[in-house]
Amino acid sequence: MDQQTHNGAEFELDLGWMEKQGEWNTHAEPSKNGLTLADIQVGFYADTPEESRNLSGRPRGAVPRPGSMPIGNYTVRTKSEIWLENASFLYEEALQRQWSSATDIPWDTIEPLPDDVEQAQCQMATFLTEVEFVAGDVPSRWVSKTSPDFYEARNVLMAQVMDESRHMDVFRKRALVNGGGLMRATGATAGFVGGIDLARDFTEMSSRLHLSGEGAVLTIFRMGELMAYNDAEKAIYRLCAQDEARHVAFGVMHMRYMAANAPERREEIESYLDEAEAGMLTDAANPAGQLNQTSESLSIMLGGGRKYFDEGFRKLVSIRKRQLQEYQKRVTSAGFGDRFKNGRSRLGQMMANVAN
Amino acid sequence: MATAKDADRVRPALTLTKEELEVEVPEPRLNWMNQWREWGVRVRPGNKGLTLGSLNVGLYGEIPMNWPDRSRNPRGAIGVTGTPPVAIQIKDKVDLWAPCAADLYEEAIQRRWAPATDVDWKAIHPLPEDIERAICQVCTEICQYAIIDVEVITSWQHQMAYGYHEVKQFLATTTLDATRRHEAFRKRALVNGGGLGYEGPCQVSRLLLESSGGWTETVTGLILIRALFTQVMIRYLNRFAYNGVERKIYECVTQDFARLITYGVEHIKYALAHAPDKQGSILTTLAIGFRMFNRDLRDPVLREALAIVFGGGIAGARNEGMLVFYEMLDEYVQELLDACQYLRLPVSIEQLPKVFQKDQRHSAEN
Repeated sequence: MDQQTHNGAEFELDLGWMEKQGEWNTHAEPSKNGLTLADIQVGFYADTPEESRNLSGRPRGAVPRPGSMPIGNYTVRTKSEIWLENASFLYEEALQRQWSSATDIPWDTIEPLPDDVEQAQCQMATFLTEVEFVAGDVPSRWVSKTSPDFYEARNVLMAQVMDESRHMDVFRKRALVNGGGLMRATGATAGFVGGIDLARDFTEMSSRLHLSGEGAVLTIFRMGELMAYNDAEKAIYRLCAQDEARHVAFGVMHMRYMAANAPERREEIESYLDEAEAGMLTDAANPAGQLNQTSESLSIMLGGGRKYFDEGFRKLVSIRKRQLQEYQKRVTSAGFGDRFKNGRSRLGQMMANVAN
Repeated sequence: MATAKDADRVRPALTLTKEELEVEVPEPRLNWMNQWREWGVRVRPGNKGLTLGSLNVGLYGEIPMNWPDRSRNPRGAIGVTGTPPVAIQIKDKVDLWAPCAADLYEEAIQRRWAPATDVDWKAIHPLPEDIERAICQVCTEICQYAIIDVEVITSWQHQMAYGYHEVKQFLATTTLDATRRHEAFRKRALVNGGGLGYEGPCQVSRLLLESSGGWTETVTGLILIRALFTQVMIRYLNRFAYNGVERKIYECVTQDFARLITYGVEHIKYALAHAPDKQGSILTTLAIGFRMFNRDLRDPVLREALAIVFGGGIAGARNEGMLVFYEMLDEYVQELLDACQYLRLPVSIEQLPKVFQKDQRHSAEN
């Protein structure tokens, strides 16, 4: 350390670091939405490397320190593995649209429901609490493995973790607010081969989590008006749908980037999609899928009671179709629409069998 | 009571196709009905709304000391058995719990902020170049701390048992806080004619990332060394802020840090109360941490940049600025010792490297 004194003499300064600064004279300008991440993509600071050599956690654009230790545990160091073009937008939107399950839901609008409907609501809330756990933990784990040179994508994932945390708590709250309780867990997110947890590659994980898993849940949330019995439940589904739409957008935009920038990985991604499609109706993580615990509770909610189960089931079948149609649109938007024309996708067959 | 028919009337219709209307409906099994551990729960919102902590009633408020279930069963639900386990390593309450976690979670949500719109960026004005360079250097190092904070916490979250969801949920707020901290300081560095600076040293960061043996030990380093120091530094930066933009950032970040530090200190307190033998590893972590911190402080970059900010420029840094820097370091040490006293950890100033001891600092530096 430099020579210092406490007796009135001046401290000596090195100041060599003042010559080691990144691109200078940067004037990011706020736009109509404030000073957004997009607004600070100026000059050198907008450059995202195709391959990150940053192993020490320095902010992108800072001057590397010779001799820094490779302390970061980054397995995601290639831009195409994680990147998407609209990450800045999704992150800023996520911050603007944060909400509170404690105070933004009109809980006092909930009134006692018939026991069969309350049980169905509580079973669905139990299931959603369970699956939101995985949707929070898995992106979080990937952030710790991703180079901070891709901080925009990391930021969106961190906002997702926060969103999922809030979803967990809002559905737990719903289960415990109206004379019910939590019911039976499904085990839908256990450590099965092909599960979201076990993906070894980020894009593989994203295809399972964002595109098929959260895509299916998004369709359900968008149908929230049909399942809600009061303004509180309507608000829950509407706000969750808003969050979920961002998560699905992440998956679609990432896959689009991957398709355009890593064509050598197209076939691999097609395989992920094959697997995702195969599980769309059979996978327990789809609340409208074939697991009777969730499909029956949804049918009761949609129909208006056990007595109207048949009506509810028919609505459920219609929702399953929407799930498949929306999935097809997302995959097409991501640049993999050919699979629906060249016979690779089994979505057509699945559409014909949604009632089974 | 609303009836099913009432409910049906207020819900919008879904127009079904002829084919859908003719779907053969299977006989429901309904074997999931009447399956619960406790029914009839009716938590009502209080004056802070319907909070996470208020849900802890009856069986749902029983938080066991051990949670062996390695699935994602929500606490209070009937669990499933026979499914492959997920990679949960922290299964004992003593290893992660803090009684205040649920309250901190709700507070974090209520106090959310957005750097893009809650900071009046247009109010910033050009500063003398030496001061701008110094501020940008400080921003760079705070960004780097925030990046590492995110990586440290996210590498643990998925390993925590679901029975302790209050902690997992609170930690989700802390990683978003750290993400926002990185964002806010990056924006500050790039908005006023400056840019990012020189990468900071990484010994404390290395300690935090490599502390993979236990969350309590990680929290010890993360809170008592990194967060407490950063909190004090930001308090000083606020005192010497050059404009409202900086003041707003420092105020918001201070609130975020206060919650993280509260969780950390209360967790260590809980751990020590329920597993006194943890004291040894906590003290060892602190001792190693201080050696690492000492190495980071040998690097002049952050010290000089802060001295320039505190001293109003390079000239002032050589006198007043550096004295304020050491005053800041002393204040950090005092807060650390206060925290240790609260935690009944036998840490005295004599045990710290000399740079942290006001009376010994001079000999350490020569």
